Amino acid sequence: MKHLKLLIILIIACTITSCYSVRLRNINGTPQPDPFSNRDDYYRGMAVVELDTVIKINTTSKDFTLLIKESDACESGKLNMVEYRNTFGGLLLNTITFGKKRKVKIKYVCEKKSN
Amino acid sequence: MATTKLKLLEEWNTLHKNGPFPLKLLYQTKLEGERIMPKKKDRYNDVAKEIQRLIQETKTAGEGFRAYGSAWSMNNIASHKDRMHYNGFMNISMPIHAGDCHPDNVYNPDNLFLFECGNTIKEISETLAENGKSLKTTGASNGQTIAGCISTGVHGAGVDVGSVQDYVVGLNLIIGPNQEDIVYLEPESKPALSDAFIQTLNARVIRDDDLFYAALVGLGGFGFIHGVVIEAEPVFLIKRYVKKIKKSSAFELAKTMDFKNSTFVIPEETDANGKGNRPFHYKIFINQYSNETDCVVELMYKKPFQEPYPDPFPVIKESLYRDLIYLFVKLAENLPKSIPWLVKRLRKTILPVVNEETTGMLKEIFWDAPYQGPAFACSFGINHKDSEKAMNLLGKLTRDEGPIPGIFALRFVKQTKATLGFTKFPVTCMIEIDGVLWKKTRKIISLEEYSRLMIKALQANNIPFTIHWGKNSDWEFSGLVNHMYNDNAEKWKTQREKLLSPEMQDLFSNKFLKTIGLA
Repeated sequence: MKHLKLLIILIIACTITSCYSVRLRNINGTPQPDPFSNRDDYYRGMAVVELDTVIKINTTSKDFTLLIKESDACESGKLNMVEYRNTFGGLLLNTITFGKKRKVKIKYVCEKKSN
Repeated sequence: MATTKLKLLEEWNTLHKNGPFPLKLLYQTKLEGERIMPKKKDRYNDVAKEIQRLIQETKTAGEGFRAYGSAWSMNNIASHKDRMHYNGFMNISMPIHAGDCHPDNVYNPDNLFLFECGNTIKEISETLAENGKSLKTTGASNGQTIAGCISTGVHGAGVDVGSVQDYVVGLNLIIGPNQEDIVYLEPESKPALSDAFIQTLNARVIRDDDLFYAALVGLGGFGFIHGVVIEAEPVFLIKRYVKKIKKSSAFELAKTMDFKNSTFVIPEETDANGKGNRPFHYKIFINQYSNETDCVVELMYKKPFQEPYPDPFPVIKESLYRDLIYLFVKLAENLPKSIPWLVKRLRKTILPVVNEETTGMLKEIFWDAPYQGPAFACSFGINHKDSEKAMNLLGKLTRDEGPIPGIFALRFVKQTKATLGFTKFPVTCMIEIDGVLWKKTRKIISLEEYSRLMIKALQANNIPFTIHWGKNSDWEFSGLVNHMYNDNAEKWKTQREKLLSPEMQDLFSNKFLKTIGLA
């Protein structure tokens, strides 16, 4: 029982400490707003695009590039901030597939269109 | 054509979650694309017609209408139970040229710019910087829209500058659905734009001092602010110092505003005789739960712009765990006696770092303030000579009736000409407590009760005061506006009645205006 408790604590500790976010944010520019959004996090009032997927990387591929296109959620087609999140599950998936499958969890907000 | 999207809702909230407030319909209007309508003025006039269409639609429905920007106000001043309009996408900017000016114009035309209502302070600052210019002052951050700032009297700590509304030169208002309801308002004593230019905005010109200064801090009640003409100035640098000094010295400076003869001197900021220079900005931080004889002060000095200067931005900024903030709130609600201890633990997050020195442009020093959860702020304007007395009074009240999860700061601002500007004293001290928003429990009083006690304490001690229009207070307090502004409250109403038809007065009135007796 004592060992089980220790194991649970260890798993929780690994899960928490392996989850982190890195956010890149422009000094200049304004995030595209979204008055219809009701978020309650760092992105409150902003038009956020969230990408939560698993990608397969070929053995011959070194990296991949995600293209940001003009859309309602990204009217300027220019980035204002990007958040990349690493999770314990993502790390585990990467390890057990020897890097062939990668969890991608990204949030980004585009620049507000200037006039 | 500009296009409007709408969403049916039951409630709306401010950025800092000070509501929710009831709402039926939320509009957001986007400008016609540049490829279809390349000229800025055409897009500006086109969207004015769209706003008039929405006003007509609201009028036909027998409902009320209120425009808002970034939702930074912490009460219901920007809300309406019927229809609200989000202005943020209306962000055209245009420089004013010498040929656009009135024959009696006294401003340097190079410093005049027209900004559409939805431009944020950050967007304006960046546009101005591209032209070698700067705003004269801003609030402590940069997310508010220009229309929101002036409607609620946003101020910085410009000792000799004033508030945001104090560099406004003229207002382009939409006061109804008809052709003659687009007006351009400027003071008769200081005209800036020519009639010919104003006509290109399809606007009727009104030059009237009383009307202009009433509409300047209009609380959203003078129609839809479509455009604001402001006076900028050549870009400059600010050098910022954070010092720890005796509270007695800090309040002596607050009382006298005499930085020249003060015993507190920053060696780098003295004149040829070794006397202290007058700062651009002066702010005192007070932790009302601390018995320390010292306090933290922030001083900023204006400098000519020159490159290079040290990078004012840190490379990395960390955010507090949101869960930690919620934990703080829960502790405050259930164990209020822990608040002073928590404030002390979080002082590195709450207070600036002592002996820190930073140099940057105004837009860099007063940069983004990321959302960190529900927040409150109670802010009173008082005569600077009363600042120590008021601080002692409100500090004691906060300890005795609280503790309340926030700390005080005092900023000093030049007098405004706006009829209902809360910076009405010769030098106004804005004394503010801000912190995390809590809910009333058996152990801690509500924010409304706390606000009411502060008003009563100032009244009982004969300290004349005003309250920041965009902050928390007990706005239902009996006779509050008349107590704060005397005859100016009636003057404001008279000017509003002069400008708006009775129907439009109703349409542009909301619960906030009705609560405080201005509608």
